[in-house]
Amino acid sequence: MVAALTRRFGDLDIAEDAAAEAFATAVARWPVDGVPPNPGAWLTTTGNHKAIDRIRRENKRNDKQTEARMLFHDAAFDPPGVIDDDRLRLIFTCCHPALAMEARVALTLRMVGGLTVPEIARAFLVQESAMGRRITRAKAKIKAARIPYRVPSAEDLPARVSGVLAVLYLVFNEGYLASGPDTDPVRHDLTAEAIRLTRLIRALLPEDGEVAGLLALMLLTEARRTARVSASGELVPLDEQDRGAWDAALIVEGQRLVRERLATGAAPGRYQILAAINAVHTSARDTRNTDWSQVVALYDQLIRLDPSPIVALNRAIAVAELDGPKVALAAVDELEDDLAGYHAYHATRAHLLRQLGRSQEARAAYDRAIELAGNTAETAYLTRRRDQLA
Amino acid sequence: MKYFVSVIDDETGSGTEEEMAAIDAFNDRLMAEGHWVFAAGLGGPTTATVIDNRNGDAVFTDGPFVESKEYLAGFWIVEAPDLDAALKLAADGSRSCNRRVEVRPFL
Repeated sequence: MVAALTRRFGDLDIAEDAAAEAFATAVARWPVDGVPPNPGAWLTTTGNHKAIDRIRRENKRNDKQTEARMLFHDAAFDPPGVIDDDRLRLIFTCCHPALAMEARVALTLRMVGGLTVPEIARAFLVQESAMGRRITRAKAKIKAARIPYRVPSAEDLPARVSGVLAVLYLVFNEGYLASGPDTDPVRHDLTAEAIRLTRLIRALLPEDGEVAGLLALMLLTEARRTARVSASGELVPLDEQDRGAWDAALIVEGQRLVRERLATGAAPGRYQILAAINAVHTSARDTRNTDWSQVVALYDQLIRLDPSPIVALNRAIAVAELDGPKVALAAVDELEDDLAGYHAYHATRAHLLRQLGRSQEARAAYDRAIELAGNTAETAYLTRRRDQLA
Repeated sequence: MKYFVSVIDDETGSGTEEEMAAIDAFNDRLMAEGHWVFAAGLGGPTTATVIDNRNGDAVFTDGPFVESKEYLAGFWIVEAPDLDAALKLAADGSRSCNRRVEVRPFL
């Protein structure tokens, strides 16, 4: 509804306020007058009227185009196809590369996800007033710089879709490995919202391989959520997880998406490769049973697309299972310059050093990892591991 | 909608001959496609004079108002329907003058 109003009135604030007013009117009137025969259409019509009222009240919109759109926009409600197009436009506007990444995330959750400002502020551990300002500033930039409200042209689409997916993946990861000493280790509200929005984009862009890949990646990761943190709030590593507690329905859906993408024969992007790696993990009975050579081969493929040190670190973890901790440690040590400030680098080293019986070095690496880790469950796990060392 | 495309430079000396030719070609395209409003290169920061006449007693001071390694070396003013169109033009402008540029909308 906000999307439809934005298209019609070209202003996020007006659209948002009008939608809120329409719902408020519904809450006040429906219990008295009864629910109208077509509630959706009723809300849209009421929202339109509220928006026009506001524009007339403020009398600041007299350009002919807006006037024409207000007067000649036909019918009380749009067919579903148009509503989908509107949502897609709204997503691309909220994830525009001219906005700062944190503003894109906040705006997408607010305008597309419908979360409130306090909810978003809590999710990212930011003061409510600061989050409010961030969203206001982003809206003001959209308006002043005239960031367009439309689906990008075919030639720009892949780059812009990948920008949208980056926003959604960030939301998901913040939910999956929540940071901050006082937050739950897993924020199901954020992972669920990220999955819901990715499903929406998948419905709107069914042919896009990376959209399917990201959805599959999220589903296969989310499937392990309950097994990933113990009852005492400690992170459970993959090899110790109770695989019976994994969500079978999510795994089936995620793996089906991965197979569908493989069947197209099209070269996969990074989300599709990450999803395929997770498909390998979720189809094994245990870590010993896992096809590690397949995992390493997929990481090799990923490194060709994204030669980042973080990908190299994850590849090294798989190499440890295949070629042993000594080979893996050599690969990990090469990443020190890039990853010295990253907790997972030290946690991986600690794990490998422990396997090699180099306890003292392992202890130092655990100390550093604990210092840098932001997730409470991870800190608890690393602390126990460190304290097990002789 | 008009956009101000400022050219950011951090070294003294104007563009090379190749850059100037590329800028000319880009300007021709702006005119042919109806985006052209105005464009100019500016003298370096050392040629700047600051004037303060807020009290009606004009004071002239030598040198740039803001001392920084980066400075405004020139600008385009382009006509574009929205930011996406302006960003596309600015990307081509950056390529032609071989410098970073910044886009800001006119109020």
